[in-house]
Amino acid sequence: MSQHSTSPFPPSHPPRARRRSIATTAGLAVVGLLLAGCGGGDGGLAPAEASPKTSTSAGGDEKVELRFSWWGSDTRHALNQEVIDLFTAEHPNITIVADYTSWGDYWDKLSTTVAAGDTPDVMMQEERYLREYATKGVVQDMSALTSLDLSGIEEEILSAGNFDDGQFGVPTGINTYAFVADPEVYAAAGVELPDDTTWTWDDYIEVTTAISANSPDGVYGAQDYGFNEPGFAIFARQKGEELYNPDGSLGFSKETLAEWWSMSLTLQDAGATPPATKSVEVENGGPEMSLVGTGQGGNSLFWTNQLGALTSAAGHELKLLRHPGEADGERTGMYFKPSMYYSISSTTEHPEEAALFVDFMLNDVEAGKIILSDRGLPANTSVREAVQESFTDVDKQSAAFLADLGPVIVDSLATPPVGSGEVVNIIKRINEQVLFRQITPEQAAEQFMSEVEQATS
Amino acid sequence: MSAPTELRSTTRTAGRRGRRGPATASEKRDAKAALFFLAPWAVGLVLITVGPITASLYLSFTDYSLLAPPEWIGLENYERMIDDPRLHTALAVTFRYVFISVPLQLIAALGLAMILDRGVRGLAIYRSMYYLPSLLGGSVAVAILWRQVFGTDGLVNQLLAFFGIQGQGWVSHPEYALGTLMILNVWTFGAPMVIFLAGLRQIPEMYYEAAAIDGAGKVRLFFSITIPLLTPIIFFNLVLQVINAFQSFTQAFIVSGGSGGPADSTLFFTLYLYQKGFGALDMGYASAMAWLLLGIIAALTAVNFFASKYWVFYND
Repeated sequence: MSQHSTSPFPPSHPPRARRRSIATTAGLAVVGLLLAGCGGGDGGLAPAEASPKTSTSAGGDEKVELRFSWWGSDTRHALNQEVIDLFTAEHPNITIVADYTSWGDYWDKLSTTVAAGDTPDVMMQEERYLREYATKGVVQDMSALTSLDLSGIEEEILSAGNFDDGQFGVPTGINTYAFVADPEVYAAAGVELPDDTTWTWDDYIEVTTAISANSPDGVYGAQDYGFNEPGFAIFARQKGEELYNPDGSLGFSKETLAEWWSMSLTLQDAGATPPATKSVEVENGGPEMSLVGTGQGGNSLFWTNQLGALTSAAGHELKLLRHPGEADGERTGMYFKPSMYYSISSTTEHPEEAALFVDFMLNDVEAGKIILSDRGLPANTSVREAVQESFTDVDKQSAAFLADLGPVIVDSLATPPVGSGEVVNIIKRINEQVLFRQITPEQAAEQFMSEVEQATS
Repeated sequence: MSAPTELRSTTRTAGRRGRRGPATASEKRDAKAALFFLAPWAVGLVLITVGPITASLYLSFTDYSLLAPPEWIGLENYERMIDDPRLHTALAVTFRYVFISVPLQLIAALGLAMILDRGVRGLAIYRSMYYLPSLLGGSVAVAILWRQVFGTDGLVNQLLAFFGIQGQGWVSHPEYALGTLMILNVWTFGAPMVIFLAGLRQIPEMYYEAAAIDGAGKVRLFFSITIPLLTPIIFFNLVLQVINAFQSFTQAFIVSGGSGGPADSTLFFTLYLYQKGFGALDMGYASAMAWLLLGIIAALTAVNFFASKYWVFYND
């Protein structure tokens, strides 16, 4: 296979570069620009002007079409479709178009459709974005809608979606942020499960250090807790502070946050939590790759509605534990959080029909039996009672945990300010800097406060 | 898009320029046909590329949250860039990535092209094999694979353990994470390699023969014949790969889980732009960032073209 001999000298050759006029060079530079413009398509910069939604349907007895957007797994898509079928069977004049994506893509897609003037009539919302969507007038105050009955939901839970004199989101269900312990890791290390009604943060350090010391290499007492702000919110509340004040300003002191991060370094130094690289990796892996999910650790922090995913990843029963420091703090810090919200577009042509559908998902027992604990334990207390027996063992476990917790909880968190969607990224990045000792806990606290103030101002 | 096309089209333009006069009927027919075949591309260009680019220029002067109509704020977005430490981090990360990984990638591409050019049995198979990473390199699947390979329990550490070295999580360490992405970019050397291979074929064998008779060794042949005659191709690859590297997004997005972490060590410019636009819903600022990137790439490309006068040799 002789290559050169078979290939003749190319027939045409370019003129010398020296002869090339400036114009040609400039022309090529433009080509370069276009190449730069063409490639990628990163993140879809294409904007669209917001324009009022136009629709041909006139209302009345005519057929009504609603679009319902949500994020989630395949399981959720399937059961939402069941709920939609059940609803449309009762209301034959209403059609519901299912519009779903994964969590990661949901917010990109939702903000883009809003920009395009094509806001879904009913959508799932989350606390970190709800206020933003409400202040920009994308979602409407639902308290005036007659087809929506909110009386079945406890005031304390409902209030989380109520601000600026309006009910902009209706909680779907409740959750709490708790420690998930792996009894088998405890047993293998010969460490007793703590009494979570009395344990202190010192106990936490002691217990997790003991687990690491008495476990094989690669098994740790706990997963690092510093990547998320809910854990800190609880820690601050135990000291009588808050993450956010009701007016959206920061409600904690620099010292408290620095203390929280110092403790995380203490745990790392003691070997109770993994080295920084491992912590970052585990954090990025989600519930399935968490220490508790993989049998590599004694404790991880999660929302209670993730217990199912964690349990099936671990392959055996896990135990929910209250936060340390609940008994000896100034007050208890744990809280019920609406896991998600239903919101209705402010530009929908059919607000009452949309309200009817939300009411169905919220208050109908049959719908509740399909949804079960997919969106946290049902917000409507009578629905929660009615569907209890259909729960899986894991759901029963979290239901019991939440029921026990009820009496000790003081109040829920104030709705986070506009821009708090970014806080999750800020704290993750700063925590990485802390774990790799690029900055001290004091510097980290300062940086966090200034960045969050900037993001939420 | 390949080097020979570019070279040839330049020649054609030069040829046309010489003749002036009324177009003949057949030329008119050709022009109509050309317009007809260009139409789909032109429509796409206007709607999908030029339209959005123009709109983003307007948006870069506005405060735009996507949820509410944009508000004109003049140059404020551009002024904010001056005091945005994360933007500066993103620029530093991106420049380091481009200036280290692109030269390495081109060296790898040229090296392998030289080996394959020597006439290996089953060349087509090797060529395809080495080209494959170029097709896959930007994909989500490969980025996920990368995260595994360079993870704490990944392939790399298992290899190191075999030699008795205690590894660590490479993608999750701020000092090494960017390095793993550079390796990923170098690994996708297939596309420039194929172009180099084509370029090497065009160097007439007689030059080598003549030089060999004069007593030139292999190294001398490489530096005095191969490299000078290949400079137009090197130049073409350099421009293209620099532009590509500046726009890298997927790798960092997947490997860092969208954060650009650990501790912003893989915060590519495009990734930060995405975080600003869709995470912080600050689309005005993100648009301004896009124009800054466009400006940087255009300036570098212009510098590249200017500098090429001094080192690119067009043999005629």
